[in-house]
Amino acid sequence: MGFRNPWSYSFLALFTLFTLALMVIQSRSYLEGYTYSTGTMLTLVLYLLPLMTILLSSFSLTAEKEEGSWQLLSTYALTTSSFLLGKYFGQALVLIAIVCFGYGLSGVIGALLGAGFSFATLLFLLSFSICIILMFLGIAMLIGALSQNRWQALTWGVSVWFFLILAWPTLLISVLSFVPYTWIKPVLQVATILNPAELVRLFSVITLGGGSIFGPEYYKWVNWFDSPFGVVGFITLCFIWISLTLLIAAFVWERGRKHD
Amino acid sequence: MIELGLHIKQAEKKIDNKQIVHPFDLHIEPGEVIALCGGNGAGKSTILRMIVGILQPSAGTIELNGLNWKEQRVEYLEQIGYMPDHFQFAAGLTARETLSFYAALRGVPKAKVDDALRSVGLYETKDKRVTQFSKGMQQRLLFAQAIIAHPSLVVLDEPTNGLDPYWMDAFVELVKGLKAAGQSVIFTTHQLQVADAASDRAIFLMNGQIVQSGTIEDFRARYGALGLHGAFSELSASPDRPATAHMHAPAPEKPIPSSADKQQGKVSVKIKGRRD
Repeated sequence: MGFRNPWSYSFLALFTLFTLALMVIQSRSYLEGYTYSTGTMLTLVLYLLPLMTILLSSFSLTAEKEEGSWQLLSTYALTTSSFLLGKYFGQALVLIAIVCFGYGLSGVIGALLGAGFSFATLLFLLSFSICIILMFLGIAMLIGALSQNRWQALTWGVSVWFFLILAWPTLLISVLSFVPYTWIKPVLQVATILNPAELVRLFSVITLGGGSIFGPEYYKWVNWFDSPFGVVGFITLCFIWISLTLLIAAFVWERGRKHD
Repeated sequence: MIELGLHIKQAEKKIDNKQIVHPFDLHIEPGEVIALCGGNGAGKSTILRMIVGILQPSAGTIELNGLNWKEQRVEYLEQIGYMPDHFQFAAGLTARETLSFYAALRGVPKAKVDDALRSVGLYETKDKRVTQFSKGMQQRLLFAQAIIAHPSLVVLDEPTNGLDPYWMDAFVELVKGLKAAGQSVIFTTHQLQVADAASDRAIFLMNGQIVQSGTIEDFRARYGALGLHGAFSELSASPDRPATAHMHAPAPEKPIPSSADKQQGKVSVKIKGRRD
């Protein structure tokens, strides 16, 4: 049903425009691996995609409450977990289709013009975007479960996005200035796990060979992600993140169902 | 032994210490049709929402065919078909797609979707988007959704809202069909003529309390040809009436007033029938 949602098409148009802009940025770069333009693209994707995911998916949940369809669905033999998992995978399908279309179109146009993304870069950006979508979908489910209507979801969504994406580096620097020097590394490690955007960005940049830009504080992360267990460890961390957010969302939703 | 039908014992609903529905008992036999009547805010929809599990009773028990919502939620809900009062259909879906979605959730084969659409007169418009439907057509689709899986209890909240006179008559026939198939029905309505024609028993609510209940014959015996209209007029005249009255024995028949308007000391009597 997400494909019939007019909002999905608005985001599709926006994301396609966005990837075409990335293509223009990329056309000025002739280097492979982690470059300044790759970093810029990752940052731009990180600005747009989490917000898109949070808004589209949390609205999808709150709309169920506002329009009465959850009230009707709750009279069906449907468990809260299957409802939320259905929403999660349904929204994941819609959002992944949007990013595939966006990157696909810019890839085709780039190939026709002879300047644009290489296939490897496209594949990297797509994997990075899918990771971001899957992680932030968990947060969106939690926001949707906590909010009673779309206005609440919008407020929560923008706040979370602002905190995790925009304010994070500044906040981190401020907090770390109060922490004893020996604690900085462990605090940074925990903080990185707590922010899915940071975790995915870190993994992606290190995988592209740009780990040195993070500085000595992230040395352990670079070593760990570069090791044979790096990919497995990253996937496990992502899985734990998604499972935890979905479990909390299910708990909140179920509590509302029992206490009504 | 499993007690068939719906059994409500001393169920009540309080929200923020406000008594929304006072403790009440209700038993609905298989194949029985009950109409819940009363003014706005009387507690009709709250009772239905407690039956279908959207709201939890603050006290008391609700069991359907021996099943309890809290302990056997999935099995309990499998036996219920519910039509809500307020509902907004998903944008972009046709009538057939919408009903197919709900049929799939109930495990009903797709072939039955067209039959259900035919039964509510929407087969010809099955490929039209539901958001383009009139209120009455949306009500009929919601009704089809409630009955498609042949549940043992059909719970309908204001099912006749927005229906034209033809479909009100058709609704009565559809409810009679459910009754004939052994399905129990409980519905709320402001259209007392529908309650009179479709139900076996009527229950009047006021301020969350059952103030009158009885079979349609009981009401006719007490109020004559006015039937449920007579009971409603009496309740409207005494809005703070607190005591519960069960009409198991017919009360002395009241003289049937002849015509027109209450302000003039008269009561109007509507004769049901189609002009053609």
